[in-house]
Order: sequence, then C-alpha cells, then structure tokens
Amino acid sequence: MTSDRGRKPLTAWAFLAPYAVAVGLLIAVPALLNLGYAFTDHTGLTRDPQFVGLSNVRRMLDDGFLLDSVRASAIHLALAVPLRLLAAVGLGLLLAAPRPGGRWFRVAVYLPTVVPDVALAVLFLWVLNPLYGPLNQLLGLFGHSGFTWLSDPGTARVGVALMLMFPIGEGFLVVLAARRMLDGRLYEAAALEGCGPFGQLRRLTLPLLAPVLLLLAVRDTILTLQVNFVPAYVLTDGRPSNATLYLPVYIFDQAFEFSGFAYGALITSVLMVVTAIVITALLLVVRRWRVLR
Amino acid sequence: MGEHGAIRLESLTRSYGRVVALDDVDLEVRAGEMMTLVGPSGSGKSTILRLIAGLDRPDGGRILVDGQDVSQVPPHRRAVAMVFQDFALYPHLTVLGNLLFGLRVRRVRRDEADRRARSAAERLGIGDLLDRYPDQTSGGQRQRIALARALLREPTVYLLDEPLASLDAPLRFATRADLLALHRDLGTTTVHVTHDQAEAMTLGDRVAVLDRGRIRQVGPPQQVYDEPADMFVAGFLGSPPMNLVPGGAVLGGSRGLILGIRPEDLTLDVDGSIEVTVDVVEALGSESILLTRGADGTRLTVRAGPRCGARPGETVRLRPNPDRVHHFDAETGRRR
Ligand SMILES: Nc1ncnc2c1ncn2[C@@H]1O[C@H](COP(=O)(O)OP(=O)(O)O)[C@@H](O)[C@H]1O
Ligand SMILES: [Mg+2]
Repeated sequence: MTSDRGRKPLTAWAFLAPYAVAVGLLIAVPALLNLGYAFTDHTGLTRDPQFVGLSNVRRMLDDGFLLDSVRASAIHLALAVPLRLLAAVGLGLLLAAPRPGGRWFRVAVYLPTVVPDVALAVLFLWVLNPLYGPLNQLLGLFGHSGFTWLSDPGTARVGVALMLMFPIGEGFLVVLAARRMLDGRLYEAAALEGCGPFGQLRRLTLPLLAPVLLLLAVRDTILTLQVNFVPAYVLTDGRPSNATLYLPVYIFDQAFEFSGFAYGALITSVLMVVTAIVITALLLVVRRWRVLR
Repeated sequence: MGEHGAIRLESLTRSYGRVVALDDVDLEVRAGEMMTLVGPSGSGKSTILRLIAGLDRPDGGRILVDGQDVSQVPPHRRAVAMVFQDFALYPHLTVLGNLLFGLRVRRVRRDEADRRARSAAERLGIGDLLDRYPDQTSGGQRQRIALARALLREPTVYLLDEPLASLDAPLRFATRADLLALHRDLGTTTVHVTHDQAEAMTLGDRVAVLDRGRIRQVGPPQQVYDEPADMFVAGFLGSPPMNLVPGGAVLGGSRGLILGIRPEDLTLDVDGSIEVTVDVVEALGSESILLTRGADGTRLTVRAGPRCGARPGETVRLRPNPDRVHHFDAETGRRR
C-alpha cells in the first residue's frame, strides 16, 4: 500500500501523457499562436507576419459587422440552447421508461445526429422553403399563410435554431442514461406521499438530474456558439441583414475572404471571451439558485 | 385508533414473467395488530407489501382494507406509509426536507408542516440531524429518518420492509425494542417483513411464514414455534433448526412419517435412550450447541447448558422430551 502510494503520481502522469501531449500540440499551442497572430498583419498568403501592435484591436472597435455578429450569436444562443435542452431533456425523460416500441423512438431521436450537418442543412432548405416546404404547408393546415423563412431576419434566426433542435443525440442519450440510474424506489416513496407525475418531475427528477443538466447546458453553450457555421453557410450565408452572421461565419469570412488570418484570429479570441462570459454567468446563476447541493 | 386498518388479502396472485411471486395468498391482519411476514429471500414478502401499498397490481385476488376493496384506489389515497428495505430517502434533500416532502405535497401550511416535522424528528431522536443530508447519516439514523417520514403520513397502516436488516447486531437489538414501543404507542396496524427468524419471534403479535409465494402458517410466534404446521416452518423458525429424522429410526415412530425434535428438547442424560457420538461442540458462552451423530448416521443437534462437559469424539446419551416430538407426513410434509 505505502510503496504503491509513492509511485501513484508518476503512474498517473504516465497514463495522462499521451493525452496531455495531444492537448498541448493540437489545442494549447495553436490557441497561443492564434492569440499572437491577432497582433500581427498575417494574411496567411504573403510574407512573414509583422507585429503591428493594437492596430487590429482599433479596427475591431470600429467594426459594425462584428457588433451585428455578436448580436446574432447572442440571440442564437438564447434561442437555440433552451430549445435544444428542452428537446433533449424532454425526449430523454419521455423515452427512458421501458415501453413497447420505445427502442424505435429512441433510434428516431438519435438518427438526425448521425446525418452530416451539410445534408441536414440541405434538407432544411427544403423544409423551410416558403412555396413547397412542409413547414409552411403544416402552418397552412392551421390557416396560417406561412413565413418567408430565410428571407426575413427574425424567421431566419428561428429557422436555423429549428434545424439545430434535431441533432441532439448526445444530450438525449446522457439524459436517458442518467434518468435510468435514478432509484425507482424514490418515485414509489413519492407516489405514496401523493406526489403525481408532474410533482415527481419537479421535486425528484429535475433536482436529481441537476448536475447532469448543468453539464449539458455548459456543453451546449459552447457547442451552440460554434456549430451554427454550417447551417448558416448553407441556409443563409449570414444574411438577411446579418441576422445569421454568427461569429464562426464572420471569422471564416474575415480569415479566408476579406482580411486574412490576423483579424480572424482576433475575433476568434472574442468568441472565446464571449463563451467564457456566458458560462461564468451560468455557473453564477446556478450557485445563486443552489441547484446543486 | 386501533379501529381502522384491518387488512384482508383474498387469493392474491402475482407473477413476474415465469416467476410466481405470490401464489393464492390469503391473509388477515386485524386492526391495530403487528403482523410479521417472515420467509427466505425471494419468498414474496416485499411483493405483498407492494400490493397492499398499491405500488403494484395483483394478477388475481382482492385486497380489502376495512372491508373495502381497494384495487381501484391509487397508492396515495390508501393511507399507508411504507418504510422501504433500503429506506429510499431523497438524497438531494436534507433530513428536514425529507420529512417535509409529503407535507409539502399535501399542501400543509408551512409553519404547521415545520412544527410537525420537528416533533416527529424529536420523537425518533433525530432532532439534531435536520440539516444533514442522508449520506451524512449512519444506517441507524437513516432508519429513524425513514420511520419519522412514515409517521408524518399519519397512516392507518404501516408497511415496514426489513427495517432492521441493514443495522448491525447491537443496534438491531435496541431498535427492535423501539419499534415495539412505537407500535404500542400508536396502536396502528403494522405489517412488518423480515427474513430473520429471531426477529419474527420477537416482533409482532402474529407471524405469517412464507415460502415461494405461499403462506405456510399464520399464528402467534410461540404457537408457530411450538406447533409448526409443516416441515418448512419447522426448519425455518428456530436456530439451530429442528432435527428431522425419518420414522423408525432413533426417535421411533413408523414408516411414512418424519419425526422432529428441537435441539433444546434433547437432554444429555446417562440414562437417555439415544446413544450418539459428539462431532463438534460450539460453546456460545450462554449455551453450547452439540453436533452429534448416531450409530445409524442420524445427525442430531443438541442445545445444552454452557460448560456441559461434552468433548468431540465422546459418546453420550440423549433423552428426548416425549411431549415435544413433532410428527410430519413424509409425503406432504404436513403436521400429523
Ligand atoms: N419487478 C419484478 N420483476 C421481476 N421479478 C420480480 C419483481 N419483483 C419481485 N420479483 C420476483 O418475485 C419473487 C418475490 O420477490 P420479493 O417479494 O421481492 O421477495 P422477498 O421480499 O421475500 O425477498 C422473487 O423471485 C423476485 O425475483
Ligand atoms: Mg424483499
């Protein structure tokens, strides 16, 4: 025992090493390089980058498009994260209980996650088509004349968020597994005390799953700020009126089409700062509400 | 109190797939009585409690509480409180939160609920644990939390599923007495489940012995002990179990019979009728258990006083108490 304990840290580091090296080479070093490039005139094509001090930052502070982009990302976040979580948690809890045919429903929920996102986006070009798209036809059944989804700023934002409600497989699986691990006796005890299904959801399931839900929220925040690139590119190309010019789209445009790597690198750092701020806020709220013990 | 809570089970049947958990169970629990269900693990004890609570539905048969068929009554309207085998405390709530849970669900006023929860906690001696979480308490404390929670339900029937099983021996002994005192205080009908035959003897006005989903015998513990209805009950109640010997051997009797005698009904006596060799002496301090073997290979367990003087390898003579020899049918196992 004692001799083991002395060797433990070394063993642990040995197991950790391959991962640590990969994280260092593939994530930490590029991230630092990226931060460095933000203060150069690097275009990625021409001569060696030269240090230009704060000139990129000055340009950024005057950049109206960046403001649009941050706003688009923020609205998207506020729209997509709750919708995605609601879908993942709702379906996960609904389909966790064993029931006939449940397996097929679970497969159906996971399936869109397997579809490549470009394919899903192309599919949604059709779904959201104002003339023959099924969504407008569905609205037509209720007597609604439908929307010109992708040509109007408001509905374009909703359209992208709608599409991203489908690839929720991982979150769904996590909720499903976590719900199945909860002790059924707790629910029986609650039922004996007169707690109905809704009360059980509110007083048992959600509080017991709080750590998992928090994890999903943090993960989805990070993800949502990034995965909107493909749908925006395929569906709207950042339009109309920059409503879907999410940060990843704008970064791509600047880095590869307009200004080169340096300015792109700077706004990448902005995206990181935005992500960090949102997650810090989330954790503060959680602490405030005492969601976790 | 004591007027309500009479339970009557009529030919209850419940199967899970091919496993028959309950097979035609009839049982009557009188109002105010403490009934102990005892049987080996898997004999269907928990299933009976779950059916009474309404957490599960029988495949056949009826459950009557105070003469009313409760098949269509949902669990929370049945006025039963259950203490689960592993207590099922809500891990995300403090002890106080656990006690308040049901009161909140039933929308009892906040200050009133608080007062009642605290007084129940005082009654069970867990008043200073209210701010802890269940995983910060010991097994014995958890058992009391679960009991306090049941108490707050103010039920007409308590269902206790192996409430003492997870406690260590000294605590179990003390808690057994507390449970009895609590039941005497409340006078509420209680169905108590255990797989421990000693607990079945000491707790409860009557015991029902179960085996593989069937009730073998119901009666006051001493009567069931003294007059077991069949060989299963004879072997299950009492430790060490009753000696069972084929008829025509050392205990006499005829073929087609099995004769039984409890270890304490065999006495070491130089004039005894049975000659045996002592194999093992287990000195337990307050008594000695002798494992012996007769000339024809019959094994007999004897309960003797402490320091009885017998040694392994010795030949001794035993005198059976003729009034306490039990006769069972070798075919059916029933008492004759
Ligand atoms: N929900 C269930 N699904 C399948 N089998 C069950 C279920 N509940 C109980 N059983 C089976 O029914 C039998 C009786 O179980 P139980 O009443 O829990 O026994 P006990 O409490 O006496 O140990 C056992 O064989 C058990 O495996
Ligand atoms: Mg059980």
